[in-house]
Amino acid sequence: MYSLHAITNSVQNWLNARLSSTWVLIIESLIVIVLAIALFAALGLILVWLERKVAAHMQIRLGPNRLGPAGIFQTSADTLKLILKEGLTPDGADKFLFNFAPFVVMIVAMLLLAPIAFANGFQIWNINIGVLYISAISSLSVIGILIAGWASNNKYSLLGAMRSGAQIVSYELSAGLSILTIVVLTGSLQMTDIVQAQQNGWWIFKGHIPVIIAFIIFIIAATAETNRAPFDLAEAESELTAGFHTEYSGMKFALFFLAEYINIFIVCAIGATLFLGGWMPFHMGNWTQFNHVMDFIPSSIWFFGKTFFLIFLIMWFRWTFPRLRVDQLLNLEWKYLLPVSLFNLLLVTLIAIMNWHF
Amino acid sequence: MWTDFLILMKQEMAVIAMIFILLFMKLGRDRSNESFMNTMNVLLLLNLILGFVFNHEGILFNEMFRTSRLIAFEKNILNLAMLIISLQSYSWLKTNKHVPEFYILMLSSLLGMFFMISSGNLLMFYLGLEMSTIPLAAAANFDLTKRRSSEGAMKLIFSSAFSSACLLFGISMLYGTTGTLVFSELPHLINNNPLQLFAFILIIAGFAFKISVVPFHLWTADVYEGAPVAVTSFLSVVSKGAVLFAFVSVLYTVFSPLAKVWYNMLFILSLLTIITGNLFAIRQENFKRFLAFSSIAQVGFILVGISRSSDISTTSVIYFVLIYVFSNLAAFGVVSLVTAVTGKENISDYKGFYKTNPGLSWVLTIALFSLAGVPPTAGFFGKFFLLIAGAGKGNYVLISIAAVNIVISLYYYLRVVKAIFMDANPTPLPSIRTPLMPKLAFIVCVAGAVTIGVVSPVYDYIYSLIVLR
Amino acid sequence: MGTAQILFWSLTALALISAIMVLVSKNPVYSVLWLIVVFFAISGHYILLNAQFLAIVNLIVYAGAIMVLFLFVIMLMNLNTETEPQKSIWMKFFGVVAGGLLLSFFISFVISSADLKGKSAQLKEGEIGLIKTLGKALFNDYVIPFEIASILFLSAMVGAVVIGKKD
Repeated sequence: MYSLHAITNSVQNWLNARLSSTWVLIIESLIVIVLAIALFAALGLILVWLERKVAAHMQIRLGPNRLGPAGIFQTSADTLKLILKEGLTPDGADKFLFNFAPFVVMIVAMLLLAPIAFANGFQIWNINIGVLYISAISSLSVIGILIAGWASNNKYSLLGAMRSGAQIVSYELSAGLSILTIVVLTGSLQMTDIVQAQQNGWWIFKGHIPVIIAFIIFIIAATAETNRAPFDLAEAESELTAGFHTEYSGMKFALFFLAEYINIFIVCAIGATLFLGGWMPFHMGNWTQFNHVMDFIPSSIWFFGKTFFLIFLIMWFRWTFPRLRVDQLLNLEWKYLLPVSLFNLLLVTLIAIMNWHF
Repeated sequence: MWTDFLILMKQEMAVIAMIFILLFMKLGRDRSNESFMNTMNVLLLLNLILGFVFNHEGILFNEMFRTSRLIAFEKNILNLAMLIISLQSYSWLKTNKHVPEFYILMLSSLLGMFFMISSGNLLMFYLGLEMSTIPLAAAANFDLTKRRSSEGAMKLIFSSAFSSACLLFGISMLYGTTGTLVFSELPHLINNNPLQLFAFILIIAGFAFKISVVPFHLWTADVYEGAPVAVTSFLSVVSKGAVLFAFVSVLYTVFSPLAKVWYNMLFILSLLTIITGNLFAIRQENFKRFLAFSSIAQVGFILVGISRSSDISTTSVIYFVLIYVFSNLAAFGVVSLVTAVTGKENISDYKGFYKTNPGLSWVLTIALFSLAGVPPTAGFFGKFFLLIAGAGKGNYVLISIAAVNIVISLYYYLRVVKAIFMDANPTPLPSIRTPLMPKLAFIVCVAGAVTIGVVSPVYDYIYSLIVLR
Repeated sequence: MGTAQILFWSLTALALISAIMVLVSKNPVYSVLWLIVVFFAISGHYILLNAQFLAIVNLIVYAGAIMVLFLFVIMLMNLNTETEPQKSIWMKFFGVVAGGLLLSFFISFVISSADLKGKSAQLKEGEIGLIKTLGKALFNDYVIPFEIASILFLSAMVGAVVIGKKD
């Protein structure tokens, strides 16, 4: 079947044959930029629709079903509405920072797309510290949220931004430690190495107990980092109006909204890459026939399938668990998740040294 | 190999074990303050005894950690001071809400000092220095309800952060021009590069801050006054002593090629320190501020002793720090007890102290005499040896000015003694019954202050440790 | 000029300009944001020297955690120029003189230092900054500072909780 790898190779050869190398670089960068923006737009549309449909069916109702078959054009209509809305800057707000904050959040989301491998060989930047790069850039997203809350000149926005910032900074720790368990087992920080190491089975099956614990902690931490329920105290309507993006309207609000869904996609993509094998099909040990059969399904479908499964899981959480208060939330991280993650790291190091994993 | 580490680093391991015992005790069931204090005092006594046995020499981890019998002795002096401070702060800690945290902070600071003294690498030295400063900055604020305390702690944090930054800048320039951080390799690589001279000045600035040498002493009075007395005594004795040990070691090993440069510098700094300390101490009303300025003057004398770089000056410095431990802690002990019971800190409150508390006033008098350098007490011998060491270079101007200043310092020390014994006071301080622990501490301090001067094997023992190093 | 040179000079200019803007900004939040730009520039320098781990850890720790802490405190304090106490003009004058003297001394020392002339750092090569080498050095030669730093953090946390806890 067609693989994205073949397409990229053929495009690269075609370009190299015709133009000089700097032009090739520029044109390839432009292609990547266009594709990334297209991915963002497509993902935004799909994820918002998915959220509304999943929410609806969990609540035994239908959700959007008027615009287009099963309501798939609903999000486009919403986007059109948001673009046409008046973008209001509150009086006394810091104009430069107020306008700058949504872009910071968007830039961070875009930077995080770089090391993710969407299919075999289809990765924007394969740096040799891929996992660490992800931790670094996701820790910069807090700054965008704090600036947004502060620049709104609104007490409740500031409080919401502080709560959101404290929550993200705390849960980064557990997320980082769970990512470290996979790094210990693989021995490399590079995303391609991690995916290749799952050639004979996904880490969640190979590295049994500690990786399952790490996976659970990662999912919880990822839900908290993206401010999703049940950790959405900072932006729930009944709590602080809308937290740090209360004062934003129109296109700027659309950017925040989009960035939140892109963040969900990215953390699920990272979880899928590290724990569920990324684009690697479901192989089992050295059952070569079985693996060969599994290889027929293209790697991009594997990747998106796993990612959307995790996204569905996170959306499922929203309608299953009640919302946590902010002190319960921080308690959960510092008194429960962090000690468990630290102990888990010790456990996985022991297992890696003793070679007790598959 | 394992036992190698454990035995060579036994004192550090002991302090780390104490910190963890405290943490687990705190996390366990509810205990009274007395049980914490009694446990800690016993453990500190065991720690002190441990310091005398199994002393080996060795270098670990590529010169990150050096130990010798001299260094073990220096660490034991600090252990002794810690034990005495812990005994003396009994009355203050009985009613305090954060007893285990107090001990954890003090022990972490002590641990940092141990690593600083036994470091053979500028990186480890800096880390030890930071580790000794940061818990003290938190502990200086231990009287959470008083504003003075917070002010003192703020000043300590800001000043120590700035001076650490200067020290680190100097260290990084030294590394940039020589390419190594190891003490034993640095002297061969120091040529007369002006950048190295600049680095040297910055490093001396960092040190001078910690030992309160005069242009860098501005934090001392306010921090000593604001912090609780136990923390003040820790700062004045343990912190100063540890940094002095490290200073002597760094100056003599790393900067030995620059000896002519720092001789003149120490000459001027010591004169400035002694004169400023004396002048300001004359006017003080608060007892803790008074002791702060007196300790600044004592450091001036120590600098006189350091200025001649030889084994005799190292011996005299260590000997003086030992004596200083006893005399200073005796004085601070009395202040601690009086402050904990009555809350009064001014010298004028001590008028007529003899009528109500004869025992304590004798302890305070012996301590003040020893600090002043009056002959039968040990302080006289300490200053005597320092001045002899300083006179070795033949600079009699320095010695004569120092001697004159000893006489000037007698004035302000005797002023306090006069207030205790001779001034009448209609409302003197109430009669204070000393609990057992502070009583033990006072006995040790007074015994030390009186006998160490006349017992000559102590000086000879220290000298032998240095010569055989 | 090669790409490395262009990158070096532009990152340096960015770092210096941002550092000056940190001092000059009237709004403290702007100062913190300019400081974040300084850290990005310094991380860029580290990447040029092939110390990738150091660059990323610089971003994680400094720009991601410490600056967030600064932002928390400054945003809650609501500082502006009216509430700042102004020092006397003489203090400012002598401060400028002292700072300028220090700068001139430093520059003269660097210029007259013979063994620093003409040396340039190795760009984009060298094994020192790679994580493997760093990890090995950290756990063999530098293990004592590494472990002691953790006890330092523990005691700093204990101190912070003692001062800050409200009860």
